[in-house]
Amino acid sequence: MTRFSAAETWKHAVLIVGALIVILPFYVMLSYSLKSPGEIERNEGGFFGSQAMMIDERCVKRGEPDRAAIAAAAERFPGSTDSEIQAALMAELRAACSRRPAVFNYTMAFSEAPLLRYLLNGVIVTASIFFIQVLVALPCAYALAKLRWRGREVVFSMVLFCLLIPVHAIALPLYIMLAKVGLTNTYAALVIPWTISVFGIFLMRQFFLTVPDDLIDAARMDGMNEFAIIWRVMLPTAVPALLAFAIFSVVAHWNDYFWPRIVVTGNRDLFTPPLGLREFKGDADGSFFGPMMATATIIVTPLIVAFLIAQRRFIEGITLTGMK
Amino acid sequence: MPRSFAHIWFVAPAVVLMIVILIAPILVAATLSFTDYSLGNTTADWIGWKNYDRIVSRSSFQKMFVATFTYVAVVVPLAVGLGLGAALLINSLQRFGDFYKTIYFLPVMAALLAMAIVWEFTLHPTVGLVNETLAMSCGTALEAIPFFAQGCARNFPLWLGDKDYAIWTVAFIGVWQGFGFNMVLYLAGLTSVPRELYHAAEMDGARSGWERFRLVTWPMLGPTTVFVVTITCIRSFQVFDTVEAFYPQGGGPSKSVYVMMFAIFEKGIQQNLMGLGSAVTIIFLVFVLFLTLIQRWLIERRVHYA
Repeated sequence: MTRFSAAETWKHAVLIVGALIVILPFYVMLSYSLKSPGEIERNEGGFFGSQAMMIDERCVKRGEPDRAAIAAAAERFPGSTDSEIQAALMAELRAACSRRPAVFNYTMAFSEAPLLRYLLNGVIVTASIFFIQVLVALPCAYALAKLRWRGREVVFSMVLFCLLIPVHAIALPLYIMLAKVGLTNTYAALVIPWTISVFGIFLMRQFFLTVPDDLIDAARMDGMNEFAIIWRVMLPTAVPALLAFAIFSVVAHWNDYFWPRIVVTGNRDLFTPPLGLREFKGDADGSFFGPMMATATIIVTPLIVAFLIAQRRFIEGITLTGMK
Repeated sequence: MPRSFAHIWFVAPAVVLMIVILIAPILVAATLSFTDYSLGNTTADWIGWKNYDRIVSRSSFQKMFVATFTYVAVVVPLAVGLGLGAALLINSLQRFGDFYKTIYFLPVMAALLAMAIVWEFTLHPTVGLVNETLAMSCGTALEAIPFFAQGCARNFPLWLGDKDYAIWTVAFIGVWQGFGFNMVLYLAGLTSVPRELYHAAEMDGARSGWERFRLVTWPMLGPTTVFVVTITCIRSFQVFDTVEAFYPQGGGPSKSVYVMMFAIFEKGIQQNLMGLGSAVTIIFLVFVLFLTLIQRWLIERRVHYA
């Protein structure tokens, strides 16, 4: 057993205070996504809120009985006056429109905005980016590491130079070029700037340098051509490096807000999750804090959960490839 | 190795994409920065250095430089210092180190835009958790501190809405988001410090923890520090998500948070002043290039003297 010491206690105290500050917004996000508007405004109900039934005012407004509805319901309330029927219908409506706050927030997140569509877009965009990056980078890295040809040094210094360029910084000219060829507001625009990952090339080249030449020679003896060598010999050996790169790429592009914000204007069908959340915030009024926090939770959760499950891999991926 | 022409097929796509996506845009921006181009116009006039003149002389751009450099000057030392501090503490713990590591890394994984919106609620002047917590101190001994006395007498800061606090608050969120990343890099660096060096230092009379840190840990972490500082610099120069989420128009109270990426976005995309936006882009690229060259120079110098 470790021995208790004052120094150790102090360290824990400092680290716990830090942890509380780091956790604070996550706590607020999760807690607000479960509470009713009133509880959020008055800041009561602890973490989960009371979860007392609340009435969805929008639902009530939408279903308000008009003359025709009152006339139609007259049979069900024989001998009542119109105003009595109206009151009865309103009571039914309010009962039908009452929800648990948590359920209300999360259903609203999906019904007020096409959140599923946004999530799907996020998956499509991040997956396409990663696959094209690998498709482009892997052969190039192989040629740089394992083939001898004129101009190799030139191409490699080009890679090293391009490592210096942050893609976000050249967003404006990229946008102009995409606008000139009429590609703004398309999936292509969301993907194209990221198809070339010089970092991926660099990383894979370093990795391939460590693969023994004998392995490749043996494959050549077996009659494999160079294409087959890349995909059937090099790719399998590179899985650990590729996994790290995948984590880096997916985290960066799932969370990216700047580039989608520039290149997608107005067309909701192309919104990625962060854009969708931004739009939600733009037209939210006071009573919508809950659903908005639910949306934020839904967007942030997939990566956080994946991270908690495979921490070591994630930390390796993000730091190994943390050049950008 | 046999001669083959397979490499052309392997390298060509990457080279073409590098030229079209990474190098050409820089040339495009450099050219456009000397014109008054707008999207939709068929022609543009060559106006020489006028765009750059404007950037140097106009007060809104002076505010842009002040905001950007303040942000970088606050975020870099704090995010690096806290990252190092957390790594040293966690590394010296006997137990539960991984627990803190996990928590501190969470903000790195979360979409910054989403967390910015949450922070905006948390820092809300009246219903936000931060000010409500501060208000609890009223009537206690804490009121002796001027900050609390003022807050209780009138009200606590508006944080994001107050021009004296806005840039610091945004910078705080930058630190909150970034220091976990640096911590992990430092933890990796610490594992490569050989144990014997500490014993040797102790033999030589380095008794206190501080002496051992100064003589062994800090020099051994040199390469990590160069890398961490550069990467934090480049990232904080690129701050955008938080600024756009808090201040979709105009860059905060009296433009105090008008950072460069937001300026590029506002001038270029929102106002269609592509020439001006391109000039800011070029200045931005010069800064980033400069930083990276300093980093490479520092690393090389180390190699020579080591």
